[in-house]
Amino acid sequence: MSEASLTWPDGNDRVPYWIYTDQGNYERELEKIFYGPVWNYVGLECEIPNAGDFKRTQIGDQSIIVVRDQDGGVNALVNRCAHRGVKICEQDKGSFAEIMCPYHQWTYDLKGDLLGVPFNRGVKGKGGMPEDFSMAENGLDKLKVHVRNGGIFATMSDETPSFEEYMGQPILGYYDREFDGRTLKLLGHSRQRIGANWKLMLENIKDTHHASLLHVFFVTFGLFRVDNDSTVEMDDTGLHTALSSIRGKQELNDGTAQMRSFDSDLKLSDPNLLDVVREFPGDRTVVMQTIWPNVILQQQSNTLATRQIVPKGPNACELHWTFFGYEDDDEEMTARRLRQANLMGPSGLVSIDDGQILERTQEGILAHPDAEGVVELGGRDTDDTDHMVTEVALRAFYKGYRNVMGL
Amino acid sequence: MTISPERRSEVTDLINAYALAIDDGELERWPGFFAADCVYKIVSKENFDSGLPLALLLCDSQGMLADRMEAFSKLNVFGPRSWRHMLGAVHATGSEDEISARTNFVIFETLAGKDTHILCAGEYRDVIVSEKDALKFRERLCVYDTTMIPNSIVRPI
Ligand SMILES: [Fe+2]
Repeated sequence: MSEASLTWPDGNDRVPYWIYTDQGNYERELEKIFYGPVWNYVGLECEIPNAGDFKRTQIGDQSIIVVRDQDGGVNALVNRCAHRGVKICEQDKGSFAEIMCPYHQWTYDLKGDLLGVPFNRGVKGKGGMPEDFSMAENGLDKLKVHVRNGGIFATMSDETPSFEEYMGQPILGYYDREFDGRTLKLLGHSRQRIGANWKLMLENIKDTHHASLLHVFFVTFGLFRVDNDSTVEMDDTGLHTALSSIRGKQELNDGTAQMRSFDSDLKLSDPNLLDVVREFPGDRTVVMQTIWPNVILQQQSNTLATRQIVPKGPNACELHWTFFGYEDDDEEMTARRLRQANLMGPSGLVSIDDGQILERTQEGILAHPDAEGVVELGGRDTDDTDHMVTEVALRAFYKGYRNVMGL
Repeated sequence: MTISPERRSEVTDLINAYALAIDDGELERWPGFFAADCVYKIVSKENFDSGLPLALLLCDSQGMLADRMEAFSKLNVFGPRSWRHMLGAVHATGSEDEISARTNFVIFETLAGKDTHILCAGEYRDVIVSEKDALKFRERLCVYDTTMIPNSIVRPI
């Protein structure tokens, strides 16, 4: 790979490819973004309902334990023993009474405070820890945690603004639409590794018009298409985006006529898949949010999910999907959500296309760090729009990204 | 209850023929391996063991199988590849007319110009019935161990 210039071209309507491929830039992203003043999504409360329940997750390159304590609080702890650095927890999820490192059995409570060190006082009067060894100063590293209506977020920085301020409007309003205070019901997980930079995954959702071209399934059944009534809205930083849209019909119009992938004759043999019921206030049938820096919140028809993006070096990322419903869903609604889950995930009728195309993007740009992508659809500005024939959310995103990265 | 040796060999033939049809890319034959009332699911071992209902792919009717087949063969966008199902020995129990079978599988995937990788490893948990003198899957549950799917699963497994 040739050396990149690491400079940004003029304006927000061009994106240099080295930001997706450069190892040094990736390492700066870890420090300035994931370990910096952001709220990272780390899970849902319904994944750890009882005291002692934990899940393992990741922020940047760091392994994190998210655990519920006896007081009902949620803690996020760095998965590294304070003694010799052992990764304490290997399981993806489970339950523990206390946290013990298997190497020398240092034990911690569920808040991450050090409880015990074997041979602390020595054996037969010999050895042991020094008198002034501080248990209080040798707990697990703790992150600050914020829980809102079932979603769990964590930050490593003291400079992070309050969650509400961080999200801003209208994003917080859209968040509360899906996470409306009802108890969430966990339906399951799926995980995939994609050979593409983590930002391409966020962009994929901010890029509204690709769905009308790439995804035959969306296009034909009108689930998400440029001729639908739609909005693209950002917070003040430009980093979060909410896309909303109202499902269109399977009809030929001046939008669908330009879509090679539109097929007016395509019929489902079992229309149950698209047996969609309205469940949220208003007439929007889809709201997709990208919350900076690591999660996509999905409401497409009746399928709800969080998609956590875990960066894996500049050239790959993992996508951890968590599908959920609400505790008050009846059996029929749960069955509907599970059937519609066919649209999404590592074998999703729609998302298969995205996984494939993002990897091809990474392969296309890998050898061309100084070339640039074009994001001029809908103009060169970064203002909210009332349609989706635009790349405005990408321009706003990179305006925000340049601010954070000092580019 | 016992299963005759002839029946056992028919069960093995069905499971082998299914894998060959997919590896040969004859997806249009896929729904025909299932009974009129059928369930096909790809489920992660993680969800299966925790009793979580989410499937990676779920078809609970012949119509849904047909729609998936159509999507995999015509609608989805993905590059050329070959697949090889490697099957373990079939462990069949039950009766002559309703057989439960468990079979290990590994799928090797080769993408054009890239190394062969393991797409997933797991186990089929089947319920097989006799319908109009032919054996069909009434239930085919594919439980996969793989924690991280390499990109996507673009065909039925
Ligand atoms: Fe897409």
